[in-house]
Amino acid sequence: MTAVVTRPPVGVDPERGPSARPAKIRHRPLSTLDKVQRGLGYTLIALLALFCIVPFAWVVLSSLDAAAGPNVQVPTFSLENFVTFATNSGTPRLLLNSLVIGVAATGVNLALGFAGGYALARFRFRGRRVFMFGILLIRVIPAPATIVALYLIMVKIQLSDTLIGLIIVEAVLQLPVTLWLLAGTISAVPLDLEEAAWMDGNTRLQAIRRIVLPLVGPGLGAAAMLTFTNVWGDFLTPLVLLQSQELYPLSIGLFRAFSEHNQVDWGLLAASAVVYVAPPAVLYVLVRKNLLRSSLGGAVKG
Amino acid sequence: MTTVPLETAAAATTKLPSPSPRRRRRRSGDRPLILLLLGPSALLITAFIVAPAVYSVYLSFTNTQLTGFAARDPKFVGVDNYVYLLTNSDFLGSLGQTGVFVFFSAIVGQTVLGMVAAVLLSRPWLRGKGLFGAAVLMPMVVPEVVASLTWASVLTSGPEGTLNRLTGVFGAAPADWLQVVPLASIIVINIWRGVAFAMIMFQAALEDVPAELIEAARMDGARAWQVFRHVTLPLIRGPVFLYLLLTTISTVGVFGLVYFLTQGGPGGQTRLAAIYIYERALQFSQIGIGSAASIILLIIVLVLGVVYVRLAKVEV
Repeated sequence: MTAVVTRPPVGVDPERGPSARPAKIRHRPLSTLDKVQRGLGYTLIALLALFCIVPFAWVVLSSLDAAAGPNVQVPTFSLENFVTFATNSGTPRLLLNSLVIGVAATGVNLALGFAGGYALARFRFRGRRVFMFGILLIRVIPAPATIVALYLIMVKIQLSDTLIGLIIVEAVLQLPVTLWLLAGTISAVPLDLEEAAWMDGNTRLQAIRRIVLPLVGPGLGAAAMLTFTNVWGDFLTPLVLLQSQELYPLSIGLFRAFSEHNQVDWGLLAASAVVYVAPPAVLYVLVRKNLLRSSLGGAVKG
Repeated sequence: MTTVPLETAAAATTKLPSPSPRRRRRRSGDRPLILLLLGPSALLITAFIVAPAVYSVYLSFTNTQLTGFAARDPKFVGVDNYVYLLTNSDFLGSLGQTGVFVFFSAIVGQTVLGMVAAVLLSRPWLRGKGLFGAAVLMPMVVPEVVASLTWASVLTSGPEGTLNRLTGVFGAAPADWLQVVPLASIIVINIWRGVAFAMIMFQAALEDVPAELIEAARMDGARAWQVFRHVTLPLIRGPVFLYLLLTTISTVGVFGLVYFLTQGGPGGQTRLAAIYIYERALQFSQIGIGSAASIILLIIVLVLGVVYVRLAKVEV
């Protein structure tokens, strides 16, 4: 019934004037059924929202609590846990490793993805469609299904238990999505713009750098955010590929700290979790609109 | 898989404007440039994604071990690993748990709650959309390790645990949730984590439903539920099946979320196929058996994928 109420043209018919009937519809109070429906709607969405955020209470409160335990409690407010995180022998290393892996893998991924995406968008060559559908099909493979073989391959080429090996693997695992995303973004840039640049004496590569690159910023941003978030949050790949403790990223560090059943420093654990959440959360807020428009929105609307 | 369903999936996954006639022209002089641009990506994808998949198939027919005698001299054992797995109650149980996990968390839980959230957030009368939307998104944005950690606290066994306090209000005795109902616990956790993705997918789909159709149905006297069931739902059938495909694939691959909390326990009650593979191959170092389990899992996912694409195609 709401749809009827909010329709603007009703009741402004010039011939009959604001006749009684439409006006009545417009101002008719909500029926009981509508009220019940709305009340139910608010209750449902509020319960869902609570369900989604209540579990975070412990992490947030405990990170600020010098005497944190495994349960939610009123914190004696202090930043001691974060100080411990920054000065502890092991934890800054975890953060550094995570940053190195995340930033380097995202850089490699974007460089490869932009070059490859350009080729896929601008040239028709034999095998192009097969390649596009092939890398799409890759998404079907669950990561745990190939991790064992990947580990053996990494051992054979002596890249297991190295940061460089993990960086390459992480960059490549996210590459299919980046290629699709950037191929789509680049083909939306009119070829005429590039051709105009060629006429002005630019080489093909110069035209790419001066014309295409600035125009695909939102697509690059979305790809960067997706890649970084996925690499940053990945647990399985570093768990399998890394054995040396000094190479662990935050995901593995948190898992190890949590699994030490005897002596878990809950406050430090919670503070580490907050530090670990911060970069993807900030990135998410920054690129949210672009991401939704250029990847997920497009993903659904086909 | 034929190319037709693949094309449908592709078209639905990313917007690629149809190529202009100029781009269609093949010029042999472009070949070096194409190789330079796309070659590295193709090579690396082959080396680190395709090769492991192919290698898994090979390994699944051998008795390769990580350590010990067979590690040095792996032998071809035919389908022995497959026969072993398909008659092994542990593995079959693990497949069953994976099925239950995927069905209740992804196909039922996430889909229903995601749809409820998407429909409610599309109501014009609902206030605080930004706030509700942000709350629902939070579980998806955090890394899976943090997601597990938050639930470790919620499900703590003592009377002080968040969930035990809640049930305590209703007079229930405190329980050690991950011991008593481990599978149900991880199902709830995975629903919690995945509602946001379902919501985003369905919101985008709902935006494309022409408002006139909804309004026309309303004018004809249809109630909200009837409009949803008979007008909206048929119109967003394609995106819904695409979502089901994506969520099924990603839920079969869930590892960290569960491994962090239960490591497959207690007594293997949450040993999802992903965890079974990890245990067999990397903890018991039975690479051959682990790989065969991977291939079986992969085949199941592929079959499901084909089924979804076929179902979705009807209305797309």
